[in-house]
Amino acid sequence: MKARTLKEAWRLGSIAEPQILFPLIALVLLAAMWMATAGIIRLKHTEAERDAALLSRELLGTYEAQVVRVLREIDQTLNLVKFWHEGNFMQGALSELKDRGLLPPDLVFSVSIADRDGTIVESTRPLGGDSVADQDYFRKQRDSSAILVGKLPRGATGDGKLLFSKRLNGPKGEFDGVVMVAVDASFFVSGYDAAKLGEHGVLGILGTDGIVRVRRSGESLFSGDALDYASVLPKSDDADAEPPVSRSSWDGVWRWSSAREIYGFPLAILVGLAQEEQLAAVQRDAFGYRSWAAVGSVGIILLMAVLGRMSWQLAQSHLRESESKLEHARRVEYLAYHDGLTGLPNRSMFSKLLAQRISEARRYNKQLAVAFLDLDRFKQINDTLGHEAGDQLLMEVAARLQGCVRDSDTVARLGGDEFVVLLPEIDEGKQAVIVAQKILAVIGKAFTLIGHEFRVTASIGISLYPRDGEDEQTLTKNADIAMYQAKAEGKNNFQFYSEKLNANSLERLTLESSLRHALERNEFRLYYQAKRDIRSGRIAGMEALLRWEHPDLGTVAPMQFIPVAEDTGLIVPIGKWVLKTACLQSVAWQNEGLPPLSVAVNMTARQFSDEYLLQDLASILEDTGMNPQLLEIELSESLLIHDVETTLRILTGIKSLGVRIAVDDFGTGYSSLATLQRFPLDTVKIDRSFIGELAGPSEDSALADAVIAMGKSLSLTVIAQGVETKEQAEFLRTHACDELQGFYFNRPLPAYQFAQLMRAQSADISYVGTRAGLLNPQL
Amino acid sequence: MIFAVLAAGVRAEDIVVIVNPAAKPISKEQIVDVYLGRNAELTPIDQTVGSSIYVQFYKKATGRDAAQIKAIWSRILFTGRGQPPKQLPDSEAVKKSVAANPNAVGYIEKSAVDASVKVVLPLD
Repeated sequence: MKARTLKEAWRLGSIAEPQILFPLIALVLLAAMWMATAGIIRLKHTEAERDAALLSRELLGTYEAQVVRVLREIDQTLNLVKFWHEGNFMQGALSELKDRGLLPPDLVFSVSIADRDGTIVESTRPLGGDSVADQDYFRKQRDSSAILVGKLPRGATGDGKLLFSKRLNGPKGEFDGVVMVAVDASFFVSGYDAAKLGEHGVLGILGTDGIVRVRRSGESLFSGDALDYASVLPKSDDADAEPPVSRSSWDGVWRWSSAREIYGFPLAILVGLAQEEQLAAVQRDAFGYRSWAAVGSVGIILLMAVLGRMSWQLAQSHLRESESKLEHARRVEYLAYHDGLTGLPNRSMFSKLLAQRISEARRYNKQLAVAFLDLDRFKQINDTLGHEAGDQLLMEVAARLQGCVRDSDTVARLGGDEFVVLLPEIDEGKQAVIVAQKILAVIGKAFTLIGHEFRVTASIGISLYPRDGEDEQTLTKNADIAMYQAKAEGKNNFQFYSEKLNANSLERLTLESSLRHALERNEFRLYYQAKRDIRSGRIAGMEALLRWEHPDLGTVAPMQFIPVAEDTGLIVPIGKWVLKTACLQSVAWQNEGLPPLSVAVNMTARQFSDEYLLQDLASILEDTGMNPQLLEIELSESLLIHDVETTLRILTGIKSLGVRIAVDDFGTGYSSLATLQRFPLDTVKIDRSFIGELAGPSEDSALADAVIAMGKSLSLTVIAQGVETKEQAEFLRTHACDELQGFYFNRPLPAYQFAQLMRAQSADISYVGTRAGLLNPQL
Repeated sequence: MIFAVLAAGVRAEDIVVIVNPAAKPISKEQIVDVYLGRNAELTPIDQTVGSSIYVQFYKKATGRDAAQIKAIWSRILFTGRGQPPKQLPDSEAVKKSVAANPNAVGYIEKSAVDASVKVVLPLD
């Protein structure tokens, strides 16, 4: 198992990781180095031991040779004296031999002769004592002709001397005394070479009785201690055997000791090399090797640490690099699927999520709801307060939306002020209602943007899976349609999708998209409807009416497309086109010589609140050369009273350009006389609803009467709209209305037909005003 | 006391190193080497071992005492590398020996010097 994990680690390359690799290398190197060090030390040690053993044997050999030579010399001296004595049988041997230089140097040797009674009769140096008669060797010498090693006579001062003796024979071979040579014991160890033996080596000579005659270690000499003779001498006579290390009995020092018996003498020699001393150099070397190994170890560890750290850092920086790449990739992915401003999922992410939720709902037989949400006045806020405020609003809306849905729900921003809420787990539509109501409530709360409090509303369209669609596209499209319906229903509400909605909305969607291209494709036309003086019946002025010649749908009524243009903001450029075209047409007609007639142009709420209105109006007047007095702007009554102060400011601006102002649909806005009085108005146009009632009961005509009276009281020109019948015209004439307008008199006409109408009137003055002419629908 | 008296007596008498008149002059280093057994070209002659002139000579010439000299010569003798100097009983004997041997070196009291030998180094 363990082997397998190791194998796996190897295969996975984790051993190549620097935090494993370098310590491993360090360990291997350290082990190799220390093993080599230990090996070298062991080798050196063995070598030193062998050298010491060899040296010990070599020294023994040398020492033996020296000792043997000295002993021979002593033997020769003894023999020489013996020979002289046995040739002369008289005293004076020593002095004669000395004179001839045949005796060994006085420095270490002294020669003496004792007679048959043991009395010393001759001596090169005083022996210290007169008789050797009681000495062992003397007694033994009586029966032995061998060389004997004895002790000095009792009372002798020369302690530490070795005494060698030989029997002297008389003329008949009888015992006739002994000749003796005394040698300083120290002489036998004077060859101690400290360079080889050290301070604790040993060089010594001992008797076969085991008594040490003398031994030397360094400068110190000892004698007299007893050794176990048998154990000191090698068991076998193998001269080549390496001497064993043994502990010396006298000082406890471990030595390579060897001993050898001297042939022909009752003596043995001893050589020892102190183990500690002989190995000291090796120990010093070993210490040196270990020190170097230690230094090397530190070096290896440092090097590996540095390499390890460097490669770890390298690995780390690689890791960081790849992490930052990954982070970057995540960021890119995040940006691809999220809205940069609000951080909500974007359209792509939403569509993914929706697809996923749909398949889940299908699998588990569940419902889900898609709620499209559009802020009702966002464009105005963006235009008037700036993009920053708009962005702030969007962020706040995003936060509020997220605050009122569950975690499992998804809020996404599709772009602009369009949001979508996905409710994946609902059992019935009611739950979607609750959420929609909650959303409307939180959006409806005041926003504080750049220091001002604002209120916005939202329109929500909801589609349900599987009822309103079983795929992503259908569900989103239907939610969108429902949302438009909510807007059409007066905004600040929510609508569920229905089949009926779909038909309407499709039309509207078509309109909206083609409306965007209508201006550039030059699909708009202006029609002109005459206003006639109620008394003379002559054309007093005209109202320019917008028509859209759609290539597929034919002529589209303003009722159908103006609300769309208003919602989308397209009304502003369209309105400018209308004003400019109307002015150009009027100027053109005047240049043709036709009478200067006033031209009324309708203006919607969106146009009226456009901040560039006055600027645009002024430049149009200048560009076209239109007489401002001939231009009349028609505004609905409800528009005027929406914000009295603002309206007043704008109306004053328009008025200051010299342009006339008319109130359209007068009487429907329930505006007070006092309010109307504040505005610089020129004309009121009584709403067609009052005119329509004129044929009915008297109280209705009383109402119309009152409205006309109100206009009159403001000293304004009063125009009646939607006059369709002779009776209505009659009534109005009697009630002091100024001008008439309506199908009864003239249908709206294209420019060239209207020009014909005007030219006809100019050519035949008498014709003008006749009822027949007025009623001629062909004109 | 006795040593002090002896020493005082000897000090009064300066020691000189002598060679055969025919011999080449030698340096103090050579003399020391000869007497310590390190130079065998010349034959050193000693006076009686332990005599005051012996002690004084070695002390002045080599800075070593009698025991050290003995140890040195013992070692030479034991290892077979040489023989210790021949000992003669007095300055007269030494002088005679040096006069007779062109390779000999000896030491005697200054007062004993005569034309038969040549002084190579006075020791004081």
